Amino acid sequence: MRAILMKRVFRNANDNEIYMHINEIQDRIIEEMSARDDLTDKYKYIIDMAKELAMPGEQLRSEENLIKGCQSSVWIKAECKDDKISLWGDSDSLITKGMIALLIRIFNNQPAEQIMRADLYFIHEAGLSAHLSPSRADGLAAIINHIKTSVEDTLNT
Amino acid sequence: MNEQLQNISTNELYERLEDPEIKIVDVRPVDAYNGWKLHNEVRGGHIKGARNISAKWMNYIEWIEIIESKEIKPEHTLIVYGYEEEQTVKIARQFLRAGYPNVRVYNGFIDEWSPNTNLPIEYLPNYRQSVPPGWLHDLLLQKRVPGYSNNKFVLCHAHYQNRADYEKGHIPGAIDIDTNLLESSKTWDRRSPDELKKVFESLGISHDTTVILYGRFSHPNNDDPFPGSSAGQLAAFRCAFIMMYAGVKDVRVLNGGMQSWLDEGYETTTEEGGKHPAGDFGVPIPSRPEFAVDLPEAKEMLKADDGNLVCMRSWPEYIGEVSGYNYIAKKGRIPGAVFADCGSDAYHMENYRNLDHTTREYHEIEKAWAKVGITPDKHNAFYCGTGWRGSEAFFNAYLMGWPRISVFDGGWFAWSADESNPYETGIPKR
Repeated sequence: MRAILMKRVFRNANDNEIYMHINEIQDRIIEEMSARDDLTDKYKYIIDMAKELAMPGEQLRSEENLIKGCQSSVWIKAECKDDKISLWGDSDSLITKGMIALLIRIFNNQPAEQIMRADLYFIHEAGLSAHLSPSRADGLAAIINHIKTSVEDTLNT
Repeated sequence: MNEQLQNISTNELYERLEDPEIKIVDVRPVDAYNGWKLHNEVRGGHIKGARNISAKWMNYIEWIEIIESKEIKPEHTLIVYGYEEEQTVKIARQFLRAGYPNVRVYNGFIDEWSPNTNLPIEYLPNYRQSVPPGWLHDLLLQKRVPGYSNNKFVLCHAHYQNRADYEKGHIPGAIDIDTNLLESSKTWDRRSPDELKKVFESLGISHDTTVILYGRFSHPNNDDPFPGSSAGQLAAFRCAFIMMYAGVKDVRVLNGGMQSWLDEGYETTTEEGGKHPAGDFGVPIPSRPEFAVDLPEAKEMLKADDGNLVCMRSWPEYIGEVSGYNYIAKKGRIPGAVFADCGSDAYHMENYRNLDHTTREYHEIEKAWAKVGITPDKHNAFYCGTGWRGSEAFFNAYLMGWPRISVFDGGWFAWSADESNPYETGIPKR
């Protein structure tokens, strides 16, 4: 089960992202989203991200990993090994899951300190912040906050 | 894509109103759908059976999910109508792009459907009490506005012990109102008549003042010490209920709160709004005592056939996973209460709001409530932990014109404080 949790199933083109800096991955995402002018295409891009996210094990969907304050159920788990963070996430809302997938792309296998300091400019520059409903923006803020707090907790354990 | 969109005539639309293959989509603003004549249409409201998918929401990346949530499927024929043909056609084309292949455009709402009283229109009975931002903007500019013939109003920016929320920017002319002025910070119930009278008079509110309330939604987080301080629009509904109970005749809420104001592109100000103490409140408080239910009456209602205690808490609270509040220890639910699911937690009302915090389409609320026996022929007392979510639900029922509505003010807080009161936990057995 742990082996299944550890596997990131993204397209081959993104596998080298585990060696890239947070901002390099953000820039790549900005490029990918900017290539899609239409909002429906941006939506489909995010849904595709959701579908490509690794299937989590059932133990991810625990009360401990559940984020409160989101309309849909959201689970996030962070672990630290050799100063690098492994991140898992899931949601029963496809678009929220897609946003989580983007955050995992950016943060997975990154140093904890960099995650905690990260400025997630891609949300604005990829044109997402202009198109998130207030409720969705609220949920996304809660998820990012939770990721950073979880990462910080891994440093304290 | 250059799809040819077909129009539909008024006659054909009328013939097909009951056709289950048809889904009529009203893309006008939520407030127009509710009844406001934003383009001076002869009759306000929407074509009977229409669903509201406001053009504003096309700007949201999750627009497709909004359509799906309205149970509109690709096999349906969508009839799209709005105020302006050009915008309506643009939206209709987006439906085609989104995978809905059968879309037709109806251009006759303003000139044909609205003026013809033989053609059915529905509207939210008390829509005037849920005001659009444009209406408020005009009122503040001292323009004549529809549905208002008073000569005095007070605009209130509601918050819970968060004056900074007001100071960082509020609607011009607003005064701030801390919910602590109207509810006790020991019991969280409405304050005594004498206390309320003093507060209203100090704020310049008499029974015949029109009061308009709004708040700012600022991402309430259950892990904060005071999440209520970020749930300003909920605070506004709480104040609205207490004012109505006390006897303020004309209480209105800005639909969507501060979010709606900002979405329209209107400015806020940091300039302090003046409080102008009024004379006597003018009627005994409470003038509408039936709007509030306390513990003894709540217990009677649980036994009555024609009454419902309506639980406006979240599912985790209802099944006793959490109490919902950092100051309530006991977890569980009141046996016999009817569950009406607010959404995620004590400071959110996702199931009763659209994604922009405007009030959810009232037909959807009616339908969800009817499924669990919450119907207008009964006396419905809405409650939650301490009365905020209960107040928002109460206001929704008020907008729908329901005659016998109350807030069970003490809620789970009061019920759970008495050890002799029964309670349940776990997933209810069917």
